[in-house]
Amino acid sequence: MQSIALLTLGAVFIPVWNVLTKTHLSDVQTSSIARVSDPLPNLLSDLYLFLSISFLAILLGVTCAFYLEEWLPQTNWIRRLVESQVALFSGIPSLLYGLLVVTICLPYTGAFKAIEASLSVENLDVTPLSATAFQGDTTLFYAAGLTFVLLVMPRAIKATQEALRSVPMPIRESAYALGASQWQVLMKHVVPLAIPRVLAGGCRAMSCALAAAALFIGIYIWGHTTQSGQMSSSFALFLGGALLLSILSSFLAERYPSVSM
Amino acid sequence: MNTNGDNSSQITPVIQVSDLKVRYGDKSALNGISFDVHKNEILGIIGPAQSGKTTLLKVINRTLELTSGTTVEGSVKLDGVDISTINDVYGLRRRIGMVLPLPVGLPLSIYDNVAFAPRTGGIRAKSELDEIVERCLQQAALWDEVKDRLDTLGTKLSGGQQQRLTIARALSHQPEILCLDEFSIAVDPVTTMRIEDVLDTLRSEMTILLVTNLVQQAKRLANRTAFILNGDLIEIDTTEVIFSDNPTNQATYDYVNGNFG
Repeated sequence: MQSIALLTLGAVFIPVWNVLTKTHLSDVQTSSIARVSDPLPNLLSDLYLFLSISFLAILLGVTCAFYLEEWLPQTNWIRRLVESQVALFSGIPSLLYGLLVVTICLPYTGAFKAIEASLSVENLDVTPLSATAFQGDTTLFYAAGLTFVLLVMPRAIKATQEALRSVPMPIRESAYALGASQWQVLMKHVVPLAIPRVLAGGCRAMSCALAAAALFIGIYIWGHTTQSGQMSSSFALFLGGALLLSILSSFLAERYPSVSM
Repeated sequence: MNTNGDNSSQITPVIQVSDLKVRYGDKSALNGISFDVHKNEILGIIGPAQSGKTTLLKVINRTLELTSGTTVEGSVKLDGVDISTINDVYGLRRRIGMVLPLPVGLPLSIYDNVAFAPRTGGIRAKSELDEIVERCLQQAALWDEVKDRLDTLGTKLSGGQQQRLTIARALSHQPEILCLDEFSIAVDPVTTMRIEDVLDTLRSEMTILLVTNLVQQAKRLANRTAFILNGDLIEIDTTEVIFSDNPTNQATYDYVNGNFG
């Protein structure tokens, strides 16, 4: 299982390394300069992307964790595989995911081409070039979404599994002893006890994703341009969201310190 | 081994355990024990920690299946039917009341705690549930203390009250067999005596398996007593014989007289 995990790690990061060494900073710079105007629609599209994708990723992660924890025995190979992958992916610093999307996804989406093409024709035009890039190539949208999923899901799975494990075994046992079915035990006893922790874990995962996005955009923009506009508003959005969610997560953890009775 | 302490001929065995072996992974918990439980008797089960008493109860209501890595050999028959062949495991568990060593209040109100099992059994009428709740709480000597606050959380009660709540809960589905697993650990001596009186009266309605660490409790209540040591059934006989000066096995004499364990 560990070797498979290592292979996955290699499969993901060897291309990253290759692309990183080949990418020229000027490519990145053009794209950042290109997206200077019209902050609000971009902000909304970022927000939309972030919220919808995180919601889906957390939902998927929670479902997955419930299935793993409640229905698969500990020795099941699928469970062991998923758990080793989860341990792997939640251990990767979130900044690396930002590099991942730039180095792997951007070159393949053709976004650079679109930006370059529009730059060469209408270099001084004020029309939002980023909009052209995004609309012209929805794969970029999916690339960003996929990265969010990859970042949020392992953390959501891990947090949910821990929340489910924290429900004391005697509670399950006594509910089962009263003749409750697995579904009834889950819905009436396990979920009400685990849900604060699941929510806190979900918030933490989203906060992590937002912080990564904010960090990456921050590095990205401060490194290459001094212009304010769409980038800095996204930065504020992501950083603000990350802070808010981490506060919410610690609030939940404090409000429901322990589910044990 | 004398499996028939009471020699009257019309005794019907409710539970027939034959050559029951249980292993947790490589570790053996029960190494082939056989005995019968008679109708409307209290069978005391005594023995030091780790001797397999709780495992035995878990086999009978099939909650051992919830623990992964356990293997069960041999057979347990309930009214002549091998329990491992019963498909409706939830129905089987509803025939057996179970009280765990530490009080486990389900995260529900007092009323819902007691009404949980009847509800899963399909009883919906409020009047009927009210009746069951009152009857069970009275049987468990708890009604007078909680009748004015049935809506408070069961987990807000004191330890002794919670334990009586779990007894009320175990009685709520009118089981044929009541298993008590060291119920008096968290209960003060006065309440213990009150519950013992309750058990004494319940004897006419159901069969009771009383696992206890207090050998005197078995002496006070049990019709017959079984002594289990390290997964082996050392001796089962009428309580008078077990607690007399000359039980069949020397280990039994030493244990009940506090010479070891």
